[in-house]
Amino acid sequence: MSTDDVIRIEGLVKHFGGVRALDGLDLAVRPGEVHGFLGPNGAGKSTTIRVLLGLVRADAGGVRLLGGDPWRDAARLHARVAYLPGDVSLWPGLTGGQCLDVLGAVRGGLDDRRRDALVERFDLDPTKRARDYSKGNRQKVALVAALAADSELLVLDEPTSGLDPLMEQTFQDVVRERRSEGATVLLSSHLLGEVEALADRVSIVRRGRTVTTGTLAELRRHTRTVVHAVVDGTAEDLRDAPGVEGVEAEPAGEGRTDVRLTVDAEHLDAVVGRLHAAGIHTLTVHPPSLDTLFLRTYADSADRR
Amino acid sequence: MTGLGAVVRVRLRTRWRVALVWVVAVVGSLVGTAVSVAGLYDTPEKLRSYADAVAGDALVAVNGRVEGIGTLGGVVQDEFGFVAALALPLLGVSLVAAMTRREEESGRLEALLAGRVDRRAPVAASLVVVSAAVVLVVLGSAGGMALAGIPPARATLHAASLGALALVFACLASLLAQLVLHARTVSAISLGVLAASYVVRGVGDVRGWWLAWLSPLTWVERAAPFGRPRWWVLAVPLLVSAALAGAAVLVAGRRDLGAALVRGGAGPARASRLLRHPVGLALALHRSSFVGWLAGAVALAAVMGALASDVVAAVRGNPGVERLLAPGDRPADGFLSVVLLYLAVLATGYVVQSLGALRREETDGRLEPQLVGTVGRLRWLGVHVGVVTAGLVVLLGGSSLVLALATAWSTGDAGGVRPIVVGGLAYVPAVLVVGGVAVALLGLLPRAVPAAWAVVGVVAVVALLGPGLRMPGWLLDLSPTMHVGDPPVGAVAVGGVVGLTLVAAGLVAAGMAGFRRRTVPSG
Repeated sequence: MSTDDVIRIEGLVKHFGGVRALDGLDLAVRPGEVHGFLGPNGAGKSTTIRVLLGLVRADAGGVRLLGGDPWRDAARLHARVAYLPGDVSLWPGLTGGQCLDVLGAVRGGLDDRRRDALVERFDLDPTKRARDYSKGNRQKVALVAALAADSELLVLDEPTSGLDPLMEQTFQDVVRERRSEGATVLLSSHLLGEVEALADRVSIVRRGRTVTTGTLAELRRHTRTVVHAVVDGTAEDLRDAPGVEGVEAEPAGEGRTDVRLTVDAEHLDAVVGRLHAAGIHTLTVHPPSLDTLFLRTYADSADRR
Repeated sequence: MTGLGAVVRVRLRTRWRVALVWVVAVVGSLVGTAVSVAGLYDTPEKLRSYADAVAGDALVAVNGRVEGIGTLGGVVQDEFGFVAALALPLLGVSLVAAMTRREEESGRLEALLAGRVDRRAPVAASLVVVSAAVVLVVLGSAGGMALAGIPPARATLHAASLGALALVFACLASLLAQLVLHARTVSAISLGVLAASYVVRGVGDVRGWWLAWLSPLTWVERAAPFGRPRWWVLAVPLLVSAALAGAAVLVAGRRDLGAALVRGGAGPARASRLLRHPVGLALALHRSSFVGWLAGAVALAAVMGALASDVVAAVRGNPGVERLLAPGDRPADGFLSVVLLYLAVLATGYVVQSLGALRREETDGRLEPQLVGTVGRLRWLGVHVGVVTAGLVVLLGGSSLVLALATAWSTGDAGGVRPIVVGGLAYVPAVLVVGGVAVALLGLLPRAVPAAWAVVGVVAVVALLGPGLRMPGWLLDLSPTMHVGDPPVGAVAVGGVVGLTLVAAGLVAAGMAGFRRRTVPSG
């Protein structure tokens, strides 16, 4: 953990009444990265973000945002941060364009050229009243307001909720552009595909604690590849092969065997060698996806409780 | 009507507390009035002296013309007249607006109508719930007045005519809810109709015009429960209510969800420089409700000022009234100080509504993105308090200026302009104390912000009824309006005004300190 981290949270605790919403959460976001902040509903993602933005005060733990204290230096730090809230609410009587400018003005103004370009790219009608917008269009207004700001740090809470797939694509393009310009992004989501497509590093939280954190490659190293094969002959010697687990073998007729197993990444080569020796008839290999990691992490920490 | 029962159950489940508070508040203040009047005027002589005092036209414009004023019931009707004219329509309008258009705005109506529910059932169910509340008000008021010693049949007629008043406005609101886009607008138009009804009733009663029959407030009087009772008059509000409710249900059955007669069309693609500034945004947020309150206050002031000449004439012709209302050399001063007090009470409503809108900014999720900008919390709240305070000065200064000019025009005496305007402005700190309570709640106990309305209610009841009912001194002292010196009858109490300013400043400071420290949004 380096000292120039854009966001550094250690052992963050927050109670709401008797409920321990955050229970020793850690998070480190490095400059210039897109950091995926993953977790199921109610894991504490939004509360963490509110602490980061000085909206909620931490009960315990260390929180640094851009080298400052987010509670004490709120207004000063906010000049360098753009935020997209999880629940977007606009002023119903103002037009989308007016809401955009108002939201931009509170963080010290938008880059007008970027604003107009984004309005165009997100296919937004800025003359429509906010109350007449669909959910997706309201989301787009808030998204443009956050993305058009000239901020060092973008904090995006569930940014694509309500967007259609085309707009999701546009959103991903814009985030990549902002990253290439040097911005840091904290991307809170429960959509694995989105995080997989954008994030350099990921932190997974559950019940107010960080369960795991690392680059996608590091996390994938802990996941297992799923192998499904039909081989001529038996596959008995696979059961005691190193790194292999959960072997299920059934006769598939004509003397063949249907084998399913999981294997960790470093032993895949040896397993495929043994299958080859047995005579491969069909073979499918599922690479480790974030989905399995995600589901396994949740299940694991649920067991541990 | 499919689903009527289901929707009634949903409405009762979500609204019974609010409805019950309304019922208890209205019945409580009416019965409280009856009991204290019965205690104060316990002999026929005292009742007659009250009747003599108000027999002239002096306060008819304010409280209405009561038939049978020489009886216990008549005194109660007169004393409670202004509060009743405000509270009962508000009961109907606020309950209906919350159960119809606000549900539609929030999207909950959509979920309801997706079930096995007739399109007309939600509005019908709201009317059923409001009618139940009105029936409780009628039963409670009739019973309470009878216990205070008013003949039960007459008490029942008076309670029924008050209930019918609430029902008319509830049904009006239910129709408006089908026609306009926001619950806020439903309330604003209904209050506008109420203000117009008040003016029509006031002018009609003073000048004796048949025009007065156009006002629902007149119908309450014409039932004459304490004179020669006219039960048939009740048919007027009931028929009007039925027509309005029928129209509401009919429109609800034919219109699209989310539809309205007027919808804002396209607007500017960019925000103006002003709107981008926190002050401009605050102005935009408070503008529409401010304009509504200002219009109401100015209308009240204009009509009352125009009627001042009738008051002067009545006072000149009635030594009893002259003694009661005009200790100074201007015979209309007593009347004018009552009007200024009413304007101040209206202003407390404006202040609490505007500051309450800040809480809605928070609960709706619009405060968060503002605080995550470079605008600090104190600055955000300070800007809003400043804008609302400026609005209050304009509201009280403007309406008292209109009152002064209309009075000068109708009485031909221009010398009273300055004391009236100064008197009106002297109420600014008193109203700010109520606003300070709202700010303190916002900062320290945000979920209780609506309780500031209870403060408005207490101030209204104490200020409007307290002196007449000879409430105990400590109770009168609770209302900040009692420390201003009752201008223009009395001189402005400088000490009181300074003290009120300090109290208001202290409350605002406490609210700001709390707001700086607390969690946003706080549920």
